[in-house]
Amino acid sequence: MSRQHRTAASEPEPSAGKAEPDRIHLRIRRQDRPESRPYWQDFAIPYQPDHNVVSALLVLRADPVTIAGERVEPVAWERNCMEEVCGSCAMLVNGVPRPACSALVDSLAQPIALEPLPKFPVVRDLVVDRSRMDRTLAQVKAWIQIDGAWDTHAPAPRTSQAEWAANYLYSRCMSCGCCMAACPQFGPHADFVGPAPLAQVRLMNAHPTGRYDRVDRLHAIMGEGGLSDCGNAQNCVRVCPKAIPLTTAIGELGRQTTLQALRDLLG
Amino acid sequence: MTASIENSHFLLRRLHSLLGLVPVGAFLVFHLWENSQSRFGAAHYNGEVVAFLQGMNYLTVIELLVIALPLAFHAGYGLLILPQMRLEPRRYPYARNWLYGLQRVSGVGILLFLLVHVGTTRIQGLWQPAIRADLYGHMQALLSEPWMLGLYAAGLLLSVFHLANGLATMGIVWGLTASVQAQRIFGYGCLTFGLVLAAIGIQGLLGFLP
Repeated sequence: MSRQHRTAASEPEPSAGKAEPDRIHLRIRRQDRPESRPYWQDFAIPYQPDHNVVSALLVLRADPVTIAGERVEPVAWERNCMEEVCGSCAMLVNGVPRPACSALVDSLAQPIALEPLPKFPVVRDLVVDRSRMDRTLAQVKAWIQIDGAWDTHAPAPRTSQAEWAANYLYSRCMSCGCCMAACPQFGPHADFVGPAPLAQVRLMNAHPTGRYDRVDRLHAIMGEGGLSDCGNAQNCVRVCPKAIPLTTAIGELGRQTTLQALRDLLG
Repeated sequence: MTASIENSHFLLRRLHSLLGLVPVGAFLVFHLWENSQSRFGAAHYNGEVVAFLQGMNYLTVIELLVIALPLAFHAGYGLLILPQMRLEPRRYPYARNWLYGLQRVSGVGILLFLLVHVGTTRIQGLWQPAIRADLYGHMQALLSEPWMLGLYAAGLLLSVFHLANGLATMGIVWGLTASVQAQRIFGYGCLTFGLVLAAIGIQGLLGFLP
């Protein structure tokens, strides 16, 4: 999969010929409480090669002094894996939603503007509450029932290599929320579930055991806030850090729901 | 009754999508082709094209059921879902994002244009038989005003764009096109269709000019 969004983002080529800067300039949008007004603060840390945004924030936390010389509360943000698989550090980096751990400082224009992931309620500074993601994943039944009226000791059904290769693309979703942040139909104003949960319906419906609940999942995404609330702006697929073919999932689900509606109507 | 039938959300959305193509989109294609015959002059346009339509059996019923009602539903439901848009074209300057925004903006523009267009032709013709008798002359008088010609050209191009782009996204909505490649190829197909239709429409407009 190509990563077109990386080239389209406001990032210059790594400055190969230029002299190394002596500091890293971070401009961070801060917010003390969920209801309080956001404000901006500027920080600088000593330059080191190969920093990413998370490691730069770790250095900043050791000595949180603004460029103006004021000692302030350390910046709050979330991180966990540091290898772009957990999704917890997603934020706006220079205006683009992406995981901070894979946002390499040497490839970013400075000052590096950091803002909380939009569309989700801010808890503090760069920490957002993404529990809506959990609710929407539950809403579309994005799970596989292990127990049922089948022999659990039977060997797993076979899956063709082509099928699992396609499914694997969707299994890489880490619920970071970048696709939802970029979606013009998603937000506190609307009940659209967003691209990531839809892609999980595509994945679970293709699973040898998950397909038993296929109709339930399709009915879930045929209700309010479901598949039909997608506006096909396709920003999701541009910003997805795992290059998940979200718009292909949406097209495939369009096909599945078309056929499901015919089955519902005509039996 | 199953879930998707009991809950009208899905069916209403798909009805909105379908009506945009059939009959509303199909009517636009027919309407522009029909009016492109303006280039054959007043005698042909009034005597053949308009006379044939005016002589159609059940014309008013057809106009109401096949054009007015589907159009009213498509426009009304479109206005209902319009406020969901939170467009950020500067942050996400991708073509599909722009098209997504233009689709909604053009819908509103078309609606405003249609109020003028239908009002000054079909509706006004209800009590002015002279308009029905010489529609060519009426259109020529209207389009001789430069601002009205500009308004018609804008309304025409917005309508053609809305249909062509709507057709491209319909492919995704209904599940005809799933892969990136299929969506791209179908998108270019819709672009070609739109360009041809726009050319036919503009030719029709120019055919009315003296």
